[in-house]
Amino acid sequence: MKRVSLITAVMAVVVSACAGGAADSPELTPMTFMAGFAPQANLPFVGAYVAQELGYFAEEGLEVTIEHSAGGGEHLQLLTAGEVDVTTQDAAVLLQRRADPGLPLVSIGLIGQKGQQAFVALADSGIETPEDWAGRTIGYKGTPPPDVFAILDAVGLDQSDVELVNVGFDPRVLTEGQVDVYPVFKSNEPDTLRKWGFELEMWDAADYGAPTLGLTYVATEEAIEEDSEKFSAFMRAVIRGIDYARDDPEGATDIVMEYVGEDGDRDHQLFMLQTELQEATTDQTEEHGFGWQTAEQWQALHDFLLQYDALATSVDVSKVFTDELLP
Amino acid sequence: MKRNWIVATGMIAGFLAIWEAAVRLTGTPVYIVPAPTDIAAVLAEDVADLLPAAGTTLLQALGGLVLGGALGLSMAAAITFWQQLEQGVMSLALLIKSTPIIAIAPILTVWLGFGPAPKVVVTALLTFFPVLINSLEGFRSVDPAIADWFRSVDAPPGQYFLQARWPSARPFLFAALKVVAPLSLIGAVVAEWMGASSGLGRRMWLAYTNLDMPSLFAAVIVLTALSAGVYRLVITAERRTVHWT
Repeated sequence: MKRVSLITAVMAVVVSACAGGAADSPELTPMTFMAGFAPQANLPFVGAYVAQELGYFAEEGLEVTIEHSAGGGEHLQLLTAGEVDVTTQDAAVLLQRRADPGLPLVSIGLIGQKGQQAFVALADSGIETPEDWAGRTIGYKGTPPPDVFAILDAVGLDQSDVELVNVGFDPRVLTEGQVDVYPVFKSNEPDTLRKWGFELEMWDAADYGAPTLGLTYVATEEAIEEDSEKFSAFMRAVIRGIDYARDDPEGATDIVMEYVGEDGDRDHQLFMLQTELQEATTDQTEEHGFGWQTAEQWQALHDFLLQYDALATSVDVSKVFTDELLP
Repeated sequence: MKRNWIVATGMIAGFLAIWEAAVRLTGTPVYIVPAPTDIAAVLAEDVADLLPAAGTTLLQALGGLVLGGALGLSMAAAITFWQQLEQGVMSLALLIKSTPIIAIAPILTVWLGFGPAPKVVVTALLTFFPVLINSLEGFRSVDPAIADWFRSVDAPPGQYFLQARWPSARPFLFAALKVVAPLSLIGAVVAEWMGASSGLGRRMWLAYTNLDMPSLFAAVIVLTALSAGVYRLVITAERRTVHWT
């Protein structure tokens, strides 16, 4: 960690010296990035952390302030109020907020190419396939996601065949037997549960044909129109940060730990990073780079959400994303 | 009295009018601050969903209030009989009082499941302490003249408790109830916010995460009405009891 700080300090000096040599020190453009949750190794967060600590933002002429949301949706309010320039959001929620209350959100880089959530059961529970969910208690976080209905549909079960219950965010309800199938963020709870000594069965709606998507960088239509170059510069820096994380996950985790704090579990953050790197990589991103997104992906997710009544109204997907700001 | 009502209604109407005008004139988006008319529309539209949610929250709040109140009252009573219990009970009570509910609510769900039980326990933990403190103070506030009389006739402890301590504690108990009755609703809502399938707290959480501010405010108004209702009930009960004394 000391090494990272040293590199950062040296690079900052070099960058400012180069800039100073060329002309009077150029003004950096201030930006605020708000990660959509507490500091952790979610890949879009990592891109920003690395870009900050290794001076990629400064090289792009940006002076970025990194903030973190408490996770209750206030980051979107702050974004639309103009207090924040870029934040992160799950792709499905982006569509939902675009539909209601009509927030002018635009995905400027789709990092998670698959949905973040999956469902797990304890390996010794006797639940081996989703067919075994019949008669069991299935948890959801907040509201039942369309993912659960897609899995039930795929194996010929109905909502009435299971008991759906709001389980919140504490996986101990699974280990203590309060629920049979628990919804997890793939890059988070499975590692925790395995560390506690539990083997898991896991089901991902994407494996049952659901066109899910994960975390994306988000800005507003108005802000992009006003100064698209600023956002292009931001995306160049963060995608470079993600490339760095792919090439050196250990080094990137050291940087993440500067944000997480000394009490954080480094192994857990590394697990999260590695899982999210896998989920961010497809043939398409191999060709075009991290963050690539297509109308087909967004339309499929849109139609999937509509099919399961998870979208208040239809939205024009051509307006919910842009590839023009990606490097 | 009638004049007071007119002034109060006028003040509230004026406040709402200024709020409405401020939102409309500044063009503030509904997901930042909703106008009172937006909230009223949701209240009218969702009344069929809001009332059952309010019923769920009220039942859980009352369950917690009864449990917390009974515990606080019985522990205070026990201390009046066995003074040596005081330090232990107060230490435990302070521990409970100082524990952030938000830290233990998830554990209660792990232990007690997803039904009303963890919500009732959270509410009981919040209401227990004020009842304990007030009733203990009340039990100890027997008029010295009355205390002397009971001593002079060598009344047994049970009789002294029922005829001297209990009446002297009554005003203190009602003071506690005026605090904990509305507090119990807050306790139930906080517990529901942490994870529930029904109730006003659940509706507020959903509205908050969906940035549906009119629905959030509508639920808050229903909660406020409930709070005012239970507060009035306590005042009415107090007046009737005072009448008997």
